[in-house]
Amino acid sequence: MQVAHTSQFDQDHSAHHAAESRMLLSFERVTKFYGPVIGVNNISCRVGPGITGLLGANGAGKSTLIKLASGQLRPSQGMVRIAEHDAWSTAAKHHLGYSPDVNSFYEEMTGREFVETMARLSGYSRREARERTEFVLAEVGMADRAGRRLAGCSHGMRQRIKLAQALVHDPWLLLLDEPLSGIDPGGRREINELLLRLAEQGKTILVSSHILVEIEQLSNSILMMSGGRIVASGTLTEVRNLMQFRPSMIEIVAEPTRRLAALLAEYPDVQGVEVRESTLIVRTRNPLDFFAHVAELVCRHGIELRRMQTLDGGADAVFDYLQQGRP
Amino acid sequence: MSLLRAWATLVFLTFRRLLWSASTLMVLFPLAGCMLFVLRRHHNRDFSTNEFRNFSEFMILVFASFVVPICALAFGTASVGGDREDRTLVFVLMRPIPRPLVLLAKFLATLPLVLGLVVGSFWLCCQLAGETGQVAFPLYLPALVNMTLAYVCLFHLFAVTFRHSTIIALIYALFMELLLGNMPGIVKRAAVNYYGRSIMYAAGKEDGLPSPDPRWFESLPVETASWALIGIAVAGLLLAIVIFSRREYRDLT
Repeated sequence: MQVAHTSQFDQDHSAHHAAESRMLLSFERVTKFYGPVIGVNNISCRVGPGITGLLGANGAGKSTLIKLASGQLRPSQGMVRIAEHDAWSTAAKHHLGYSPDVNSFYEEMTGREFVETMARLSGYSRREARERTEFVLAEVGMADRAGRRLAGCSHGMRQRIKLAQALVHDPWLLLLDEPLSGIDPGGRREINELLLRLAEQGKTILVSSHILVEIEQLSNSILMMSGGRIVASGTLTEVRNLMQFRPSMIEIVAEPTRRLAALLAEYPDVQGVEVRESTLIVRTRNPLDFFAHVAELVCRHGIELRRMQTLDGGADAVFDYLQQGRP
Repeated sequence: MSLLRAWATLVFLTFRRLLWSASTLMVLFPLAGCMLFVLRRHHNRDFSTNEFRNFSEFMILVFASFVVPICALAFGTASVGGDREDRTLVFVLMRPIPRPLVLLAKFLATLPLVLGLVVGSFWLCCQLAGETGQVAFPLYLPALVNMTLAYVCLFHLFAVTFRHSTIIALIYALFMELLLGNMPGIVKRAAVNYYGRSIMYAAGKEDGLPSPDPRWFESLPVETASWALIGIAVAGLLLAIVIFSRREYRDLT
């Protein structure tokens, strides 16, 4: 798995990387304007074999980035390349499998017919298309249900069919826009296993999502977007370290409230404590250490802890924080 | 993997989806209306100058000027516009088929369908009209084929250019074509049906179809009108291919 920024990008010229670049999706100073609105802003990165998670809140620019990578959009500035091909070109489409986030199909077809049609549109003969279709339908767990008309398929089944059509021509690059949305936990596990298997085979997979936990289960390498920029990238641990020092609001319901407030106020990572009847609102810079400290205080001073929860733990708050740290 | 095979699949897929679409149902109404009118007013009449004139005027003013553009519009805009509206065009554009060939496939799937419906229904009308129709069929067929070709190309241009191409094309067909085509002076040269009507009036002249009042409708020579229709078709299709090849369709997903 590989995610690199411009600074590394310009420096890597080794033979090893030259060989690897045959399987790279690269963005070189890519900016995309929608009229006066900027969709993505001066993005440089490259995505190599393995699974890379593309995280961001709604409107962060994930879909624009995926559309640029899939050649649906052309960058206003910069270049998007799939191996040595411009992402817009027909040649790039040979290497690319794309699962869009929209839920539209040729509704009159069955899942099997749809995937087979996509195989035939990739240039396979009828026999080859049938064989490939059966293979990928089995891979996504739809072999026994693909005879149903798409109009009557559940959201989860349609997601699997979308994945199957993206895989049917065996591309090395998979761009999956929110592939797990609407899939039940069991199905999600199966799809995750499939994607991990494909990654082990050396495929380059870029998966977008606005749910951190989804990506966490899939990938150790992430690109986090906000406001059209990549605000964090690297391994999950590296991004977690950035998030660990984010000031958090924590609500604690405990008795005696004032005693706990006084004890917490002495703790150096606590930036403020507010008492609201039997509830404390605590602002801390280091939530992980803070939780451990509270546990210790509770045991040592016999405090009755009824509830403790983070008030701003959502993805949006995380993205906002990471964005603030960037120019 | 073969590009030719992929392209042929796209032609067949587009043809099949258009054939079993709401467009087919939509055009069957005006076509059936024309046949019913012919059945009622011209059924198996013996050939006479007056009968030929009445039948020809119906074919020129209603069939060629209204029904043919509606047929071309229904399929011409749906071949690309339908995919855009259904948000399924993305599945085609993600396949390794060059965009110019994608549009050419869409066009080649649409043309036989529209031609089949136009020529087939015209032939049926002529059969219903008896002797008069049999005289009219070979006279007006070239003009109708040329007009169909021009309209199909033009509406493909609309489809790749406008988000709601069917509505724009409908406004164009119902208002611009009828309005411009019947305006005095040079303005009518902006309407496809002007060239088609010029060819049809010239074709029917020998069998008793009177030329229209030159103050309102000054016919072009047949050769000029035919080349104009072919020119509109070629220019429209080429422009559509260029636009489709270069354009970002942000509304695909």
